Amino acid sequence: MSSLNRMNTRILPTSFNYYEPRTIDEALKLLSELSPEVRILAGGTDLIVKMKARQVEPKNIINIKRIEGLRYITEEKGKIKIGALATWRDLEKSWQISKKIPALFDAISVMGSVQVRSMATIAGNLCNASPAADSAPPLLVHGAIVKASSIRGTREIPLDKFFLSPGKTILMPDEIVVEIEIPVPPQRSSSAFLKLSRTAMDLAKASAAAYLEVEDGKVVDAKIALGAVAPRPVRSLSAEAELIGKPATEETFSLASRQVVKDISPIDDIRSTASYRKKVSPILVEDALKLAFSRIRGELG
Amino acid sequence: MIIKFKLDGKEVSVDAEPNELLLNVLRDKLGVKAPKYSCGIGECGACTVLLDGEPVLSCLTLAVDANGKEVITAAGIEEEYAALISKAFSEEGAVQCGYCSPGFAVMSYLLLREKKNLSEEKVREFLRGNLCRCTGYVNIIKAVLKASEVMGGK
Amino acid sequence: MLNIAERYSFIGKDIPRRDADSKVRGLLEFSTDISVPGMYYGRIVYSPHPFADIEEIDTREAESMGAVVITPKDVPSKPFNIRLVSVNEVTFKDWNILTFSPRYLGDPVAAVAAPSEELAQKAAESIKFKFRKVYDPILDAFESMGSQSAPIREKILKGEEEIPVRRNVGAELNYLEGDLEKGKREADVVIERAFKTNRRYHFQLEPKTSLCVPEHDGRFSIYTTTQTIHNTRILIGQVFGIPLSKISVKRIPIGGSFGSSIQTNLVTLISVALCMKAKKPVKISLTREEDMYDHADYEMHLKLRVGARRSGELTFGELVNIMDIGAHQVQAYPLLGTALGWFVSLYKWKNIKYEGKAVYTNKTPSCAFRGYGAPQISWAVESIMDELAEELGMDPLDLKLKNYVGLGDVFWGQGPTVRSVIRSDGVKELVEKGKQLIGWDRRKPPSMKQGRYRTGIGFGRSFHTSGAGGPISGEVIDYTGATLKLNEDGTLDYITALQDHGGGTLEAHAKIIAEELGVPPHLINIVPSDTSVTPYDVCTHASRGTYVGGEAAQIVKSKVFEAATRILPKAVNPEAFKLVYDETLEQAVVYVEGMKDMRITLSEIARTSWQRNWGTIAATVSYRATSAPPTFTVFFVEVEVDTYTGNVKPKRVVAGADLGTVINPKLAEGQLHGGFVMGWSMAYLEDTIYDRRTGELLNKGMVVDYKIPTSQDSPKLEDFKVIFANTYEPTGPYGAKGLGEAALNPVAGAVANAIYNAVGVRFYTLPITPERILEAISGGGKQ
Repeated sequence: MSSLNRMNTRILPTSFNYYEPRTIDEALKLLSELSPEVRILAGGTDLIVKMKARQVEPKNIINIKRIEGLRYITEEKGKIKIGALATWRDLEKSWQISKKIPALFDAISVMGSVQVRSMATIAGNLCNASPAADSAPPLLVHGAIVKASSIRGTREIPLDKFFLSPGKTILMPDEIVVEIEIPVPPQRSSSAFLKLSRTAMDLAKASAAAYLEVEDGKVVDAKIALGAVAPRPVRSLSAEAELIGKPATEETFSLASRQVVKDISPIDDIRSTASYRKKVSPILVEDALKLAFSRIRGELG
Repeated sequence: MIIKFKLDGKEVSVDAEPNELLLNVLRDKLGVKAPKYSCGIGECGACTVLLDGEPVLSCLTLAVDANGKEVITAAGIEEEYAALISKAFSEEGAVQCGYCSPGFAVMSYLLLREKKNLSEEKVREFLRGNLCRCTGYVNIIKAVLKASEVMGGK
Repeated sequence: MLNIAERYSFIGKDIPRRDADSKVRGLLEFSTDISVPGMYYGRIVYSPHPFADIEEIDTREAESMGAVVITPKDVPSKPFNIRLVSVNEVTFKDWNILTFSPRYLGDPVAAVAAPSEELAQKAAESIKFKFRKVYDPILDAFESMGSQSAPIREKILKGEEEIPVRRNVGAELNYLEGDLEKGKREADVVIERAFKTNRRYHFQLEPKTSLCVPEHDGRFSIYTTTQTIHNTRILIGQVFGIPLSKISVKRIPIGGSFGSSIQTNLVTLISVALCMKAKKPVKISLTREEDMYDHADYEMHLKLRVGARRSGELTFGELVNIMDIGAHQVQAYPLLGTALGWFVSLYKWKNIKYEGKAVYTNKTPSCAFRGYGAPQISWAVESIMDELAEELGMDPLDLKLKNYVGLGDVFWGQGPTVRSVIRSDGVKELVEKGKQLIGWDRRKPPSMKQGRYRTGIGFGRSFHTSGAGGPISGEVIDYTGATLKLNEDGTLDYITALQDHGGGTLEAHAKIIAEELGVPPHLINIVPSDTSVTPYDVCTHASRGTYVGGEAAQIVKSKVFEAATRILPKAVNPEAFKLVYDETLEQAVVYVEGMKDMRITLSEIARTSWQRNWGTIAATVSYRATSAPPTFTVFFVEVEVDTYTGNVKPKRVVAGADLGTVINPKLAEGQLHGGFVMGWSMAYLEDTIYDRRTGELLNKGMVVDYKIPTSQDSPKLEDFKVIFANTYEPTGPYGAKGLGEAALNPVAGAVANAIYNAVGVRFYTLPITPERILEAISGGGKQ
């Protein structure tokens, strides 16, 4: 049955109860009262589109944009902390991100437009749980932790455990992401992110991030993650196993990247095909590994 | 609810429901037609305005989010920049049908204000969220580079 | 010879367009920007099934909300065609304003109007249907022609005559010339290939809009997106039985069109129907998703067979063109003829056979799209000519130059009924220049390329007509008109129905008038106009570089000279006068060569005519071009293919155009830039894909999944070169020809040839996506 009569991208075709809390406590209280029939609005670049397309019709909306103190990027005790309202553009302008989390910086530069990056938050990108989310693979390989709060308290969720299926995360209906934490990587490490898309402003057909830590020419730690090739952003443990302990050479990267097909399960959709995604995933991973390694050498040199 | 904000330099106040979009309130209630509806989902940039100096897609922004803030549309760009952009765009043939032009003008303004001595690469990157179906972008990029040169010469 | 800019005062010089400033500042109003007090918002209601017959439409809930509702019962039921361009006898009519028999998901079945868009939306959603029959959608042209398929239409009107539709074939055109069998016997090499083009969406930035305002004196004023205000008025008059004198269609700037508003948009007719019932102004602005269901390009299935002697001389060409036209005919029949015209006017096949069919499917109706079939035909022909050259061991440039239809040859313009002889041709010059600039001689065959990233250079050529005029009145209506009047201070008002959809048509007119009368373009007012004050104009289509402004200017000029003889008493013969722009006086001056005292400014003449009661100097002309000369274009494109991912990047472009005299160089270059990017997008990115089961667009009309290139997807500025041929078209105004469509036509062919040159694989389906490339490379064969 066609959706043409119900969609209307000119207006928001449904109405809702609207809340604009000023503090996080106020927001959590509202959330606990209104859940599950509630959606949180931050950047709006995803939620508003879904509402126009009538994919979601929330009864209640909590707009958290005016909450003080959630828009920050700081570094303390070896951790980079990103507040829930920090936008992609905030991250783009942050020297900590460009210097220390290169894969995430790569993702920022190929994500959306300046306008979208000015509106969208990184936390929102994770909460949408799109398998193609550009922030997910870099944050996965950097071992990010998501901090979620509710009136019951705050818990830390490793990003590995955060995504369940397309559009679904492990968050409880009354929980809200308040912060993302990324450990500052050690010296002699680097990372990279690459994606394939139809145009320069597009969702990923397939994407990959690689994190490498190299000592004395040997890979001492490695993490690989891919986007848009499984129902959720995924780590490739098979590839990682082939990297750790091996000499940091192109041959190692090439052999390891071939392992990723074991960890992915791509599908056909309007953007690409399963068979294409299967073919390019190892290429993306290999290229990302090479890029990360060249960055390490660049730093050492 | 009644919301108040500064629109293109003037204080305005308007009654807006929470489900009303900034784009429609600007166009239909406040008569500012510079931001355009085109794709409706934030892909084309024709509805771009500055909200407290940040470029936003007014088709994905609730009107209530403008409350207490400042909105600048293509019609309200500082005259020094507006004249410069207009001159460069018209001299370089960067305007054809013109439906995308206000969005490009807002982004060009922001870019020219933020950065000096623009490179072609930077301009292309910065404008990728604004779609144009007529020009192939070439003359638009030339125009922004020309405006940047003029600025640099000052 | 002087160059163009030296020869003329205004032509050939870059003069910024007058509307640029108001466009950049967002002050210029498009149809979507216009509103009037008390206006209702309209919404169109579509069938939830793409192929069905409706028993009943329940509108009670919508009416109880206070909405005005119309269903097929409220509107005239006689079928019509939304495009008036062919003469009535060959106009195929299968459209209704609203229908009980939806044949695709965008067929309007009802419409509502309410004081707010939100209420209209609610009312539209509340409308319920009872179906008599729901059929499975037919989404493939060949399946549609099969004996098992349900008839999408059983009867349509051709002119006023009812004709049956057999096997869902809406129109047919076959053609034979020469002796095909002889041509086959003479051929040493024969190549046969089947091509399929994409069904592109125009993606003009402004979605279609219409505002219909009932005036207090019984007239209707209409503000709508259209390339043709007069045909819009005529169709409204015909469909609703309203006298034309009671309808005024305004010429409003249009936010891009590319052919999508070449016809009268259905939304316009619906707004009129709603307005008549509501007795209030009604505005309908399509959403982007509705707009994507409203129109698309023609999807062509082309079977080409061509033959040549060893020498490279062509001996025959055979084309089967099966066009999937979707659920309605807009101009399928004329396109069958035009597609043939493009085919025969590209190369001298000598012996020709053509079979064309327009086939109904349950998809979005196809309408003209920039190039009107020429980009598709050119892609296929330029591909097969390259294959032929390879088979013959020839350089494709040599084969093409040897056989192309050029100077002195008969050219078919817009199909079999619009023929003329080519009188200007810069193809060889463009090929020579382009070859140097791209480094054609360094081009290597694909077999010599290796490594992950491979570059390839491709060439494609084509042309487009300037207008659809001709020496005789054929099946196509093509004339236009304008009024030019000299104001009392020597400035001019120019009043025409012609539309400028971005290309700068009216700027060119102003320049031609300026050149003719010596009045600088900025003193020529292009009057905002409507159907009531302008002579008939068929449409701003087919890249018409019309001479209408120049025609009017010449009449005005002779009247100016007559007036001058009354002021300068010694002058006895108006023919002795000349009229030029005087740079020192910054105005037009009438003078007689070599006679110092025989000089007077145009403003003085205008003032005197007024002061002495001589009357207004003005001219109204109706003008038909007697030929439609071809504008030739060539593209050399270098691409880089990542053979690991199939990604392709355009690296370098040389775009060449023979448009005769270049009236506005910057705007002309802009057409070629835009043409390249649109053509690149056609070759590499675009298609509308349907859900086989539901007949829905897979992207549901959301442009997030209809990609067009961004500013980062094209070559660097320094790698995009534009060249113009030094030619003069004797039948064109100041030697000029139109450019808009020619700028696009060769691009997909050039890109496809470049991809082949990089990877050694030919593609016969558009778009050539990375998925298809990777599949073909890893398969090692052709696709």
